[in-house]
Amino acid sequence: MTVKWIGKRMMLGALVLFIVSFLSFFIMHASPGSSATAYYGGNAQTLTTAEKERISEAFALDRPLIVQYGAWLKQTVQGNLGVSAKEGRPVASILGERLPNTLLLFGVSMFFIIIGSIWLGMTAGMRPGSLLDRGLSAFSIASSSIPAFWLGILFIYLFAVTLGVLPSSGTGSLGGDGGFVDKIKHLIMPASVVVLTHVGLYARFLQESVKAEIGSYYVMAARANGVEEREIRRGVLRNAFIPYLNYLGVTIPSFFGGSVIVEALFAWSGLGQLLVKSVMVKDYPLLMGGIMLTGLIVVVSLFAIDVLMYTLDPKLRKGELGG
Amino acid sequence: MKSRKKLVFWCSLLGLILAMTMLSDLLATQPVNEMDLDSVYSPPGEGHLLGTDHLGRDVFSRLLQGGKVTLAVAVLSVALSFVIGVIYGGISGYVGGWTDSVMMRILEALISIPSLIFVLAFQAVMQGGMWGMTFIIGVTGWFTTARIVRSEFIRLKDADYVKMAKMFGTPVWRILTGHLLRNSLPPLFVVTIFNLAGAVFIEVSLSFLGIGIPPSIPSWGNMLYNAQNDLLIGAWWIGVFPGLLIFLTILSINFIGEALKNSGRRRFHA
Repeated sequence: MTVKWIGKRMMLGALVLFIVSFLSFFIMHASPGSSATAYYGGNAQTLTTAEKERISEAFALDRPLIVQYGAWLKQTVQGNLGVSAKEGRPVASILGERLPNTLLLFGVSMFFIIIGSIWLGMTAGMRPGSLLDRGLSAFSIASSSIPAFWLGILFIYLFAVTLGVLPSSGTGSLGGDGGFVDKIKHLIMPASVVVLTHVGLYARFLQESVKAEIGSYYVMAARANGVEEREIRRGVLRNAFIPYLNYLGVTIPSFFGGSVIVEALFAWSGLGQLLVKSVMVKDYPLLMGGIMLTGLIVVVSLFAIDVLMYTLDPKLRKGELGG
Repeated sequence: MKSRKKLVFWCSLLGLILAMTMLSDLLATQPVNEMDLDSVYSPPGEGHLLGTDHLGRDVFSRLLQGGKVTLAVAVLSVALSFVIGVIYGGISGYVGGWTDSVMMRILEALISIPSLIFVLAFQAVMQGGMWGMTFIIGVTGWFTTARIVRSEFIRLKDADYVKMAKMFGTPVWRILTGHLLRNSLPPLFVVTIFNLAGAVFIEVSLSFLGIGIPPSIPSWGNMLYNAQNDLLIGAWWIGVFPGLLIFLTILSINFIGEALKNSGRRRFHA
């Protein structure tokens, strides 16, 4: 892995974050009379004039929009995301509280999606014409056509209301010990909704590339030479895995968008729910911070996938396809 | 042949849903916002085909009217993103060179951001009614369209008939619309179909969360706004029917897109 390649990817990531911040900032701050007071953290009455001036100077609130953006960028790079307009607390610490929950939901559902889709896609793809092979594409289309929040509502009705086996929402029980088991119990429903609405999509993608692989000459030759089926399976997966990873990267943004809605439905106290809430109460500093953090998570995931692809794909390593 | 039958089936299902929502004024049994506090939460059956909600409003009538709103928002926003995507991708692909690489870097960056984020940023400032929603989904949904238009334009602009047209001094706009755009329509059509499904998704999800279309206008999304609470007291019909219609609509759009995609693939590789 060359330094140059890593540098190039990081530049692209930085560019993405820059565009995100630029666009969201201008969208939000272009509306008249919106944001200036937001930066006082809802304490406009209690703050002294001197304090107000200090905030106003830091974020250049009385200057043209482009200067404001520059000031915001400077503060953000230094780690000062401002103060939440409604809660009056620093945005960074609110985000810090939310981040672990989002990463937990994201990580757990991604893990099961990858495991599940590889298993389904391989099994279906290696047995052309089988029931699974024919059923998978229909399942994939159907499952990705269900709005995640609606499936979530049905789950809540079934598992929380009717059967009473799982908690209907939240990140932990009220008055509970806030322990690990309690959290996992709350995680089951949102994670299953995310997994169920996505796993088919990825499985089907893998299935199609596996099918293309087993039709190719190297597999035929290997079979003709009596190579063990297990070995063939491994080879096929290895080759089909790279486009699969690429697909994973392409869909991660929309995947993340989807989990925002699932978080909000289950009151899972993560970033997604925070974003929705801050839209409702027009808490611009908080929304801006949440958007930047979401962008950062996406950029980092994409970078991780790129690195993985780079290590797995000899063609990419040799620079044949360009970095 | 079999896939053709499927296509006909899903098209008719979608057509049926469209027709019912468009004729909502005729088919609706009650005014959508008429409250009947004497019969709140009445189950499906006599008087109210699909029951009533927490304000005694007729679910069936609201479902038809809401579908009109949801589908109108989806169709109009997709039309908007089609136009933006064609212009952006067209410029990038036709002009090429330095302009193209700058525009493509920007597009790459935009594609790697959850478009929901931009939708939320917009929603925070404008939260208007139907038109606001349409605008927001439209301006955040054109990225894939632009990419396809660009690659098609690049592929087509060196074709012999385009060169010939240039040689004969055909005006640029006619080359752009008559040759390039017209020949990129098949793949564009497929992507637009899938965009339509995406637009329905965004509208219903946001309205469900209470940050989409205002509650005074019924849409499939905001009919579900209270569904969670309604389910808790056992009024399943309020949540199930709109959800089912959303599901069937998106399902038929996806199956139609899938069928068109496959038939396109077969034609190109025949």
